[in-house]
Amino acid sequence: MQDNIAGGGVAAGGKQHQPISKGADYQSVMKRLQSELMALMMRGDPGVSAFPEGDNILCWKGTITGGKDTVYEGMIYKLSLSFSTEYPFKPPKVKFENTCFHPNVDLCGNICLDILQDKWSSAYDVRSILLSIQSLLGEPNNDSPLNSQAAALWANQEEFKKMVEKLYKPA
Amino acid sequence: MGYDAMANNASVPAMSRDFGKKKKANRSAKLKQCKLDARREQWLSQVKNKSCLDGSTEASPTATISQPRMSLPRPDQGVLGIRPRNMNPQLEMEHDGLGLRDSGLDSPVQSPTPGRGEGDDKGGPDDWEAIADALSAAGNHTRITPDAEKITEDSMMNGVEDTRLVAGATKPDANQVTRRAWRPDDAARPHCLPNLSKQRSFPVNIERRFAASGWDPRTIISAPSSCPICVEDFDLTDSSFLPCYCGFRICLFCHKKISEEGDGRCPGCRKKYDRVACTEKIVIAAGLPLPFRFSRSCSMNART
Repeated sequence: MQDNIAGGGVAAGGKQHQPISKGADYQSVMKRLQSELMALMMRGDPGVSAFPEGDNILCWKGTITGGKDTVYEGMIYKLSLSFSTEYPFKPPKVKFENTCFHPNVDLCGNICLDILQDKWSSAYDVRSILLSIQSLLGEPNNDSPLNSQAAALWANQEEFKKMVEKLYKPA
Repeated sequence: MGYDAMANNASVPAMSRDFGKKKKANRSAKLKQCKLDARREQWLSQVKNKSCLDGSTEASPTATISQPRMSLPRPDQGVLGIRPRNMNPQLEMEHDGLGLRDSGLDSPVQSPTPGRGEGDDKGGPDDWEAIADALSAAGNHTRITPDAEKITEDSMMNGVEDTRLVAGATKPDANQVTRRAWRPDDAARPHCLPNLSKQRSFPVNIERRFAASGWDPRTIISAPSSCPICVEDFDLTDSSFLPCYCGFRICLFCHKKISEEGDGRCPGCRKKYDRVACTEKIVIAAGLPLPFRFSRSCSMNART
């Protein structure tokens, strides 16, 4: 399963490694991301936030806080979002920056989430990605786990929470 | 007291000329005080027929009502020399009122001093203040039963009329503040004053715009103004383009990109775009009832 995801990542990377050759594409991506950033800041959703990292608007850092009444409550997770010039027609690459013990997150921080792969739609945006990941924390898909240990432990929420807290490193 | 007032009246313009604009507020306050003092002295002389100083203000309003008519002051009052205007009959009081204006209000404007421009500057606010006073006074008093105060105000009005003309010529911008002072058909009305027709034309324009663009507000609200994918504004073709039955609108450019380079699915519902259905819908959109199309074209016209 990990191989699967890694393969997907490579495939996406293969498409994405094209240099920023098309100025028009970059301009349109920039416009879209600026609009998203504006909407994100105006909305001020609780529990999710994102901002471009440095001068590069194609690289964002996001944070999500663990949902209430989940084993991740009170945890703050950092994510990196890397957009290609084909965004929003292609999904961004999203990774956890700090370790997250979760059935659908591997130890490198890769996320197995359908909307970030084959179920991506250009109608999604940074906000919907972050909200989806936030809800994924509390509702994992244990049928196709990246972290089989976490998937096995999910049934025991008390033990699971202990593992989450043990492995949690504030980024 | 009255003498002091007169002395102030006489000395204030000279002083303010010397001290410049810093004294402006001080000077207007002094002028106001002078006016008040003069008025009070008039009342006092009418009511009590003897010279007295401050502290009798509470008696004045009722006293004025009870003795509205001017009574000629007796020569033995001893105030004749100090305040001649209050001691004279009505006709002379009118003159005297003008005299007050000359000494007080107009001196910065009319006095042929070297620092005339500066004097004009200082004279401005006082003049407008006086206009405001005069306007309120004109609303309060009737010409049929003139009493002492009325005469004073009347004369002030006359003075104001004069200063207004002078100030209107020298300080046109200040007229905007007191536009009421001008009649629309006034020959001396400065041309730079806002024209009524000009003012009216702007809101009418706005109204026309709203009427044009907001003819059918529902179409404006229901249709997004920009493509949710590329965030570019819809043009006329885009906004009448319905690519999917689900109602998710995107621009033609993004539709082409998704159809040719992407998975060919609607971003809103993930259903495959049906090319035939698309063209049909374009036809439908083009054949919409007249108000729909018309409101769009109007909004475009208003925007450009």
